[in-house]
Formats: sequence, structure tokens, C-alpha cells
Amino acid sequence: MDLNTHMTVSRITDQIWEIPTSEKEGMRVPARIYATETILTDMDSGVFEQVTNVACLPGIRRYALCMPDGHWGYGFPIGGVAAFDPDEGIISPGGVGYDVNCGMRLIRTDLTLSDVKPRLEPLMTELFRKVPAGVGSKGSVRLNRRDFDDVMRKGAKWCVEHGYGWTEDLERIEERGCINYANPSNVSDRAVERGHSQLGTLGAGNHYLEVQVVSNNRIFDMETAAAFGITGHDQIVVMVHCGSRGFGHQIASDYLKSFEKAMRRHGITVKDQQLACAPFRSPEGQDYFAAMNCAANSAFANRQVITHHIREAFTTVFGLSAEELGMHLVYDVAHNIAKVERYAEGDLVVHRKGATRAFGPGRPELPELYRRTGQPVICGGSMETGSYLLAGTKHAMHETFGSTMHGSGRTMSRAQAKKTVSGEQIRKQMEQRGIIVKAVSASGLAEEAGLAYKNISDVVETVELAGITKKVAELRPIGNIKG
Amino acid sequence: MPPSFRILEDIAVADVAFEAIGDTPSELFVAAAQAVIEMLANPMTVSKTWYRTIELEDELFTDLLFDWLSEMVYLKDAEGVVFCQATATVVHEPLRNRWRLHGELIGEVIDSTRHELRSDVKAVTKHLYEVSEHEGQWKARVVLDI
Repeated sequence: MDLNTHMTVSRITDQIWEIPTSEKEGMRVPARIYATETILTDMDSGVFEQVTNVACLPGIRRYALCMPDGHWGYGFPIGGVAAFDPDEGIISPGGVGYDVNCGMRLIRTDLTLSDVKPRLEPLMTELFRKVPAGVGSKGSVRLNRRDFDDVMRKGAKWCVEHGYGWTEDLERIEERGCINYANPSNVSDRAVERGHSQLGTLGAGNHYLEVQVVSNNRIFDMETAAAFGITGHDQIVVMVHCGSRGFGHQIASDYLKSFEKAMRRHGITVKDQQLACAPFRSPEGQDYFAAMNCAANSAFANRQVITHHIREAFTTVFGLSAEELGMHLVYDVAHNIAKVERYAEGDLVVHRKGATRAFGPGRPELPELYRRTGQPVICGGSMETGSYLLAGTKHAMHETFGSTMHGSGRTMSRAQAKKTVSGEQIRKQMEQRGIIVKAVSASGLAEEAGLAYKNISDVVETVELAGITKKVAELRPIGNIKG
Repeated sequence: MPPSFRILEDIAVADVAFEAIGDTPSELFVAAAQAVIEMLANPMTVSKTWYRTIELEDELFTDLLFDWLSEMVYLKDAEGVVFCQATATVVHEPLRNRWRLHGELIGEVIDSTRHELRSDVKAVTKHLYEVSEHEGQWKARVVLDI
């Protein structure tokens, strides 16, 4: 096998590859990469380097993991999963990502393609108008400092209390949209100044709002789909991908800087500066955890306000209330976060960076609604190829700390994508295929072309064959909003 | 050689990397700022209606440059602006062991109907971050989170 690494990589199964501790000085556990042989061969050298660097971090348990959509990132690879003992181990912003609680949300409707197609253009126009996107976009929710502190503490719950959404939405969000250990006093004024006007905005880059259709022949598990509210017959659903915006990024930047000093105080050295960390139980570690949770809650709130605006847009175009249109939330998942979760070893600090929680049936953290099926897992593909709805499994709990992929993973740089295709070309090609695109930035659109991403179907097949997630439905795009 | 920058296409799959070059520390700061300016928006579409003076200092030259670029990212969100021009004067004060920056940023409050907006730069990272001086030429390699 011709891999982009000099390290020895051994096959455990057709989907699991292991790098032993002997391959890098300081590795405390082996590294494991979930991939088919083809995907593994195409993985960049950064994945192998970074996942083995993560394996060197204090207090890590079992394995340093990378999912099949993995590519290099800052510190941890994108697709990285690692769990640490809370007493002996660390917490690292590099294992969470700059965009804290970047995540996915899926909203179902009772509408079908034949209902929406004649009004798709006005629908996309109204969504583009209602949901701000792009550089410097500002939200419609005006918050003073005290309000923003409440958003940091309460997340999506604050939004529902203030008329943005339904009470039932909270049950269908990871952590019910509110993580308790959040302390606004651990957040800098700069972070607040960057974030307080951005609530309810999509952002830019690879973030998007997408109207999708679910056809019967693309439902793989009818029973689980029905439990998730997915009934097929060309059903229309709406997917949102965004996170904590400038607020979360500033928190990450602030703590990466302060952890450089904290590591010296605690005698920790790391292989990569972007793996800056602190003992989880240390004051610095707890301060970051509390600030990270503020950002996580703001992201849940962000997606909740966006949901409210999506419901408003559909009501405007179709003349029926969101309730009459059956616009219930399927689920909302985080794919950049660190959480304290209980496993066989006890409580562990699980870092997922470009990886999604995939809790299986019976798990108490899940709402009653999904305790029999396992949780919905929402994975976004490129804007040209479509996305997937998956379900968590019990096997994931044993294998990957209840974790799985998050999306396609990029294979081409933004600069290369823009050289290969223009935003206008992409927009026209997609329109010819029946997908309406509204984008704030033409160059941003080119950067997000489908050719810059792995084939999501290959990635999904891998996690299904590995038994850590199962396919429920494939979602085909018909309209896309980008920043 | 005037201050300049180039995009590093093979670094940073999901984000953007650039190399800035200048004949003096001040020119390096201008070149790096120009890279951020052009990442955010086409400066030709941005008017000169917003002005900000930036005064920073640090013991380390590398940290001062990092903070200068981070300030731009912060102002983009906090003030809702994009930029068309940056000037910078960087001096070393050996007695205080400090590098000091006097910079100016010029731009405009974002108007998506007039500005050719590009990428939303969200953070300056330390990934592959390197600042060097060789035979009078100053260089910096920076990866920006998009």
C-alpha cells in the first residue's frame, strides 16, 4: 500500500487501521484510522502525523482516532476523536476546533417536491433574505451584554423562552441545546464584541442552509427513518450547517494563547503548538471548559434562531404556519466539541473535532423519542452531491467513544478549487441539475465546489461497514444558501 | 521590492495560507495586512469611510505580527467592517526590549450590495506560523482559519 506516511500502518479490519506506539516517541496509546484502503491511500500526510501527536497527550485512553472524512487540521486532524481521563488528562482547544460547536441541524416538513418545485425560486429568495450570510453578516436579534450572558448560559433554551422556536425543539437538540457548565465570566470582552451581533447568522466558508428532498428509493432503513420523522415520497427537509461564529473563534484563540503559558506551569510539552492544552481539572482547564460551553450554547442558539427564520420563510411562501407544514426538528448535533461522557472506564473528556456524536440505542442522554433507535446523525456532503441522515449504534459506544464522521472532508485547497472552476460556472452547472444557489460570495462558491471534497457516499459506506453508524436516508439538494 | 504576498496553494486544505514579504519590518506588516484585506473583500470595491489607529507592542516580533493580523480579524466582526488599505510603522526599542507598532487601517462598514465579499477570515492560527529575516528580506508564513 502506498500511503502518505513512512509510519507502519497495520490492518485491523478492512475499515480499521492502526499505528502502533512504537512509531513515534511519546505515544501513550496506538492511533486508529477508520477508512477503506482507498480512502486511507488518499489521506494526506498530516492525518498520520497529527493523529499520532494526539496519541502523545497526557491521560489519553484506548486510542487516538481519526474518522474516514479526516484531513489535517490545527493540532488534532479534522475527523479526530480522543478521550481523556478527567483527573490525569487534558483538555485542548485544538481538539475542539476554532468553531466551537460547529454542527448540523435537520428540520423535516410535510411538503413534497411537487409542492415546492413551482415555488422554489421565491422560497430560496425568502430564505436568503431572512437568514443573513457572508462576511460580517449581522443577525436580527439585538442583545445587550446581559442578554448575551443569558444566551451563553442557556443556549437554545434562551431562544425558545424569547419566542424563537418551539418547546419541543429542545428535546431534539444534543444536550437539549444547553450545556450546564458555562460561565460567561471566563469569556473575554473581545469575544463578546465579536459575537453579540451575529446571533442567527449563517457565516461563510463551508457553512450553508440547504433545502433537500428525500426520495423513497434513497431511504435505507424505513423504520428508523419513520421514527426520525422522515417519510420519503419526495419529502422536503432543510439542513443547516454553522457554528458559534466569531464568538467561538475568539474564545479558541484566547485560550490557545493562555494555554501556552499554562503548559509551562504544568510541565506539559506537546508535539505541535496547536495542541496547547491544560490539565482538565486545573483552573486553566476548567476556565476553558466553561468558556467553550458558552460558545457551544451560543451555537445551539444560533441554529435555533436560524430555524425560527426558516419556519418564517416557509410560512411566507406557502401561506401556512410552520406547525401546519409539519416543520419539526429532526435533530441538532455538534461536530466540534469536548464533553464529559460516561464509558466503561468511567467519566472521560471526549474531544470530537470534525466528528459527530453517534450514541446508540438505550443511551440515557438521548431523548425518549430516540432511545430505541439511537440518535440521528446528520452528515453534510458537498453542495453538489448531497448529505446523509444516519443513526448511532451500540457498536460505536464500544469502538469510538460513540463517535463517527461529520461530512465529506476536503481533498483540494480553496486556491486550487478557484483555479479549477469559477463561482458562476458552479452556479450554472447546479441550476442545470435543478439546484438553485444563492451565494453572497462568488469566489466562496467556487471554493466549495463538489470537486474539492471526498465522495461522501464512500465515507458513509466506511462507517456503516465499521458498524459505528448505520445509513437511514440520503438527502438530495435542490436549493442552497451560502455566505 | 515593494511589499507583497502570495497564496500558498498546497498548504491548508480547508483554509488559506499566504507568504508575505517586505524589505523592512514595517513593509512585512503592510504586506501581511494586505493579504488579510484581500482575503476578506476586493479592496477596489471598499471606500475609505472608516479609520482606525492601532498601537501595539510586544517583546517578540513574531507575536506582534500575529496580534496585528488578529486585530484586523477582531475589528471585522466587532465593527462590521472590511478594509481597503493598511499602513504600518514597526520599530524596535532595544532598551525596553520591545517591538512597537503604529498602524492604520482604512475601510468601510460592510455593505453586501456594493462590496465584493470573499472569505470570512475567522482566526489567525499558529499552524506553520513562521517569521524570518534573511539578508535584509523579511518573510512571514501565515495560515488563516476561514
